[in-house]
Amino acid sequence: MSSSLVIIDKAPYGRENALSGIYIAITSLDQGHESDVLLTGDGVYAALKNQSGEKTIGYPSVSELIYLLFPNGTLFVHLDSITQRGMKYGDLVEIAELIDNKTLYNLSKSKKHIIKI
Amino acid sequence: MTTHLNGNMFHKETMVIVLLDGPYSSQYADIGYKMAESALKLGYGVKIFLYMDGVHIPRKDQNPRDFPKTSRIIEELIENGCEIKACVRCAAARGYLDQSHYVKGVQITSVYDLAEWMDENSKVIILGS
Repeated sequence: MSSSLVIIDKAPYGRENALSGIYIAITSLDQGHESDVLLTGDGVYAALKNQSGEKTIGYPSVSELIYLLFPNGTLFVHLDSITQRGMKYGDLVEIAELIDNKTLYNLSKSKKHIIKI
Repeated sequence: MTTHLNGNMFHKETMVIVLLDGPYSSQYADIGYKMAESALKLGYGVKIFLYMDGVHIPRKDQNPRDFPKTSRIIEELIENGCEIKACVRCAAARGYLDQSHYVKGVQITSVYDLAEWMDENSKVIILGS
């Protein structure tokens, strides 16, 4: 079985990257591959609770799409990136798992494909 | 299997290039072309997935004044055995509703095909954005 880590470092709505990255992970999971998503840098905004993109600007809600990773994929959120942006674990969707730099290193080493989008 | 595939596609190891940017605004289409060309010459299989603005790359009738035409390099890669697919969601959003907008050989398909290409025998390289 192949494995991938999709790394998203751009905030949702302003750019298409978050949405497109999550789609890659979801389709990989559907194909029976292991796939996880890592939000880092401005990408961590994709994990914020209560996003209203659908109602306000007519864009698909990234926070709702993220739930499709569950239960086979994991949504990792880079701890340093949320701290630097004044965010807390409680601000994030329930499926978010915080990851520190050392664990991140081991995680990326364990994956066959790194998809940085 | 389509007729444009050559013997390289049966090579065990395949390079998968994902292009995210449109042509001319960045150099990634050209860089991807050079990488694909080298891999094909070395006997590897090469597949290219056009995602997000990358779906603009194979558009027919491009006429850039100051740059080489990216649609031409796509045609060249297909002639040399490269398989090239464009994401249907991205393509439709940008007005490419069917393959008639593209140079011959480019297929419009789902992102599921990219997931399928990401197997144990491939190496995926993301270029752009």
